[in-house]
Amino acid sequence: MERVKTGIAGLDEMLHGGFLPQTANLVEGAPGTGKTTLGMQFIYNGIVQFGEPGLIVTFEEFPQQYYRDAASFGWDFRRLEQEGKLRIIMTSPEITRLDLESVGGMIESTVRELGIRRVLVDSLSHFERLSTDPVELRGIVHGFINALKREGLTSILTRESAALFGEDSSEESDIAFMVDSYILLRYVEIESTVRKALLVLKLRGSDHAKDIRQFEITGSGIEVQSKFEGREGIMSGSPHRTMADSFVEAFIKHR
Amino acid sequence: MEPDDFTARLMSDMDPDLLEFIKTRVNSFIKWDLVRFFHENPHTADTVENIARYTGRNPVAVKPELEELADSGLMRRQLVGGIPVYSLTTDEATRDLIQRFVQACEDRHFRVKAVYHIIRGMY
Repeated sequence: MERVKTGIAGLDEMLHGGFLPQTANLVEGAPGTGKTTLGMQFIYNGIVQFGEPGLIVTFEEFPQQYYRDAASFGWDFRRLEQEGKLRIIMTSPEITRLDLESVGGMIESTVRELGIRRVLVDSLSHFERLSTDPVELRGIVHGFINALKREGLTSILTRESAALFGEDSSEESDIAFMVDSYILLRYVEIESTVRKALLVLKLRGSDHAKDIRQFEITGSGIEVQSKFEGREGIMSGSPHRTMADSFVEAFIKHR
Repeated sequence: MEPDDFTARLMSDMDPDLLEFIKTRVNSFIKWDLVRFFHENPHTADTVENIARYTGRNPVAVKPELEELADSGLMRRQLVGGIPVYSLTTDEATRDLIQRFVQACEDRHFRVKAVYHIIRGMY
């Protein structure tokens, strides 16, 4: 089966090769967990490793911030824009929605002109200001996702979660049902150190890794590492040792 | 020579294209902010209200300035779903001129001269 590789060490393996083409893929996490970095890396790797031009649609961070953040990983987004391989558009959800609904709009023209194949939408949370009615909001987001698919794009949609640790107590959203894959990024506290965990909750049409992996944001981007060994309750944010591990720690290692 | 004439001549000692640019197109501080913002974020396309928010200004003050920038060819005004949306011109020559202006603004002496012409233009 054809895959759209992220090029992120460890993540493609968890996705059994990558995302499926022309799908919408949700990456959710608290501030600072690395949602935007993961999305930028997906776009950057698409351009330099797989020859697929990319688009970033931002609703809050200025493009200038993306140029700076990308440069800290050694990714020259300004140059890629000048070379016609990348476009960073700053706009608002209401204009994006109207633009995609119209024929020959700004995004449609950019996709055709540059041959865009991948898009990062940062972040989908801003669509929530378009309607307080959950049914209407679901319709708006559904239409938006379908418009991206219509343009032949494989997308990463970021979404903010309010909780820094553990489960998000905010109201459940329908978005997870509408997307093709769902990746959760979480902070985890282990022995007074904050680490980061990644879990693929859903990958429609394909099997995927079910384990919770540690990851780090290094100087060259996100690196997904091994799974958390000997711990339970990782997604609660404050995991504890498994019974077996606690036994070994207490009675064998300290003998 | 009158002191005012001397000051005016001293302040006009700059690239004639940029002098004309300041006197006729970026002739207010809000326009200056907007031009710099769009130069730094070149593919921004949004409504008056959102652009005002991005630049930390009042939409009522920003609206006429954006319209004048569009009239003078520095910005594009399009209707998206019936809503006016502003973005930077795609004209290469105009973008080059904007780039020259923003780069020139890194020099303090140039900025002083630009401020002088903008203030003079206000009265």
